[in-house]
Amino acid sequence: MDVGTILQFTLDVLNLGSLYALMALGLVVIYGILKLVNFAYGELVMVAGYTLYLLNGSPLPWLIMALVAVCMAVIGGITTDLVAFRPVRANSLTAMLITSFAFSTLLQNAALLFISPRARNVPLPEIFTQSVTMLGVIIPVRNLITIASAFILLGAFTLVMKRTVLGMALRAAASNFTMARMVGIPANFIITVAFAISGLFAGVVAMLWLGRIGAVVPGIGLEPLLVAFIACVIGGMRSLVGAVVGGYLLALIDVSFNYALPPDLLSFRDAFTFTMVIVILLLRPSGLIKGPDTGKRT
Amino acid sequence: MKNIPAIFTGLLAASVLMAASVAVAEDEIFIGGALSLTGVQAPLDEPGLKGAEVAVKYLNDRGGILGKQVKFENIDGKSDPVTVGNNAVDLIDRGAQLIVAPCDFDFGGPAGREAQKSGLVGISTCASDPLYSSWSLGDKQFTLSMWNTTMGAAAAEYAFNERGWKTAYVVTDQFIAYTKSLSKYFVEHFEAIGGTVLADDAYTQGDQDFSAQLARLRGLESQPDVIFISSYMPDLATIIRSIREVGITSPIMGGDSYDDPGLWEALGETFGSDVYFITHTWMGSEAHPEMDQFIAAYQEFYGSAPDTSFVATGWDTIMLMAQAVEIAGTTDGEAVAAALEGNEFSLLTGTLSYSSAEEGHAPDKSAVLVGLSEGKPSFMGWRRPENPPAP
Repeated sequence: MDVGTILQFTLDVLNLGSLYALMALGLVVIYGILKLVNFAYGELVMVAGYTLYLLNGSPLPWLIMALVAVCMAVIGGITTDLVAFRPVRANSLTAMLITSFAFSTLLQNAALLFISPRARNVPLPEIFTQSVTMLGVIIPVRNLITIASAFILLGAFTLVMKRTVLGMALRAAASNFTMARMVGIPANFIITVAFAISGLFAGVVAMLWLGRIGAVVPGIGLEPLLVAFIACVIGGMRSLVGAVVGGYLLALIDVSFNYALPPDLLSFRDAFTFTMVIVILLLRPSGLIKGPDTGKRT
Repeated sequence: MKNIPAIFTGLLAASVLMAASVAVAEDEIFIGGALSLTGVQAPLDEPGLKGAEVAVKYLNDRGGILGKQVKFENIDGKSDPVTVGNNAVDLIDRGAQLIVAPCDFDFGGPAGREAQKSGLVGISTCASDPLYSSWSLGDKQFTLSMWNTTMGAAAAEYAFNERGWKTAYVVTDQFIAYTKSLSKYFVEHFEAIGGTVLADDAYTQGDQDFSAQLARLRGLESQPDVIFISSYMPDLATIIRSIREVGITSPIMGGDSYDDPGLWEALGETFGSDVYFITHTWMGSEAHPEMDQFIAAYQEFYGSAPDTSFVATGWDTIMLMAQAVEIAGTTDGEAVAAALEGNEFSLLTGTLSYSSAEEGHAPDKSAVLVGLSEGKPSFMGWRRPENPPAP
């Protein structure tokens, strides 16, 4: 294997892994506090996508449009909490699971009804169509932007979680919710913040994910949700670091199989990927990064 | 648990059956549809339904079929084969005389089978897999679409005969029968007329990642003259963009899934050049003298112009039914099927004649070639491959 191929492979893994890691992190932020997989998470990607579509043709520069779209995803995240979770939070996990499905279906059907079941175009900045050459390998600039924005976002998130009062409150709520409330952390507020952060990740992912396609469809959120869920399971549902590790690992598995399998077997790639996932889970039943023995998250 | 809905459906069907004789008026022809307005099938079925509704109004304004008014009712098939089948049963019980089936073998098949059981003619708006045949569904079932054999062959002939492209690189999306069989027939015909397929790579819908395939494509000893991609939106846009992003300018070809303004805009001025595809029709009078009339009727009905040429498949399905019923003089399944088998029809989606039921009701149909330049489509004429591969 020459240097070019290795570089190409590494960048492909990092690029896809960055997206997967961000998606997984958005899911696990909520899981940590509510112990619930938010199945309406994928629809936040959709909301950001359609916001971008609706802004298409407006005189705003792309960055502003993207900012508005990310904000809409954040608002979407907060709305999910207010509409689908808070009213039933006192009941049971099952109730929340059902409402999250219902909210997801509602949003998807709204897009089907009010916009169209067919693909709609989203505006993309000029830089997303350019590429650079490194060691004889042509690399789309968008891939480099994806990797960079993931690193920046992950770094900023780590800082917030480790250094700020808000981050500490979030971590406290995740590790022992009742105790956190007893020391005066406002429960509703902290959960809403978690949903807002989740929306932020979904929004950023949407910009980078749609940047590959150039279009949005009502079912666009399904794949990100699935990927995020698998990455969390591999990495460990109770660990933020686990979600990130899971995301990059899933990308490594996917891309490796894509490179290595002959075309005849490539049609069954998902079977290979999920076999790997099962093997990982057999060896480490609670994911790669286990979280503390208390059963709570750190 | 699973039996409960079935029992309910049964009860419902029984009660409806009793009322059936009263439900359909004597001076009415009832066409039932089971097209999906929600779920994965919606992007293909929704335009078909819109076109069909315009056709029904158009017919009724001009005296209907056999002097009777046409009643058309569609029940959302929800992209679920079982629901589609149940809807067809429901419609037939209420007196439907003809059935419009969804645009795909997996989803349309159940409606076709129910129509067949009741001795009615069923036509799918755009199922193109050769599985949608009288062999698998029965002697009164048809599809309006050309088969993938024609679609693949027309693409191969354009590439090899008209443009002299000798080598091809093929990408096949592994998700549905349509994408797999389209590639298969393209490869078969391209090799039969003398072309060479350098590689046939696989892709999975939903991956949104074409990097490994791209690495293989660029690793080929000689670059292909043409790249044939059988996939559909939204991943189709990702694949083409990924190829163009790294500076590969080879022409790209595909089938009717490219016939989507969403794709053209996603490719835009930068990447939307030298892309050619075989599809059902073209929204302009160059394709058919009556096209403008249809577009005007559509615009009047919905207040906006059609956003995809797939609307023509719905219009044509109803018009084909109308013409066949007029020839047969009745809506009786046997007579209408005979009329469909024995005549050639001039439709917005091309001239169409069917082979006999023993030969599968293979549609002998012309196809449209469209080319993209800077994201703008242009009509490149009708094509009718001489010897499309056998299914």
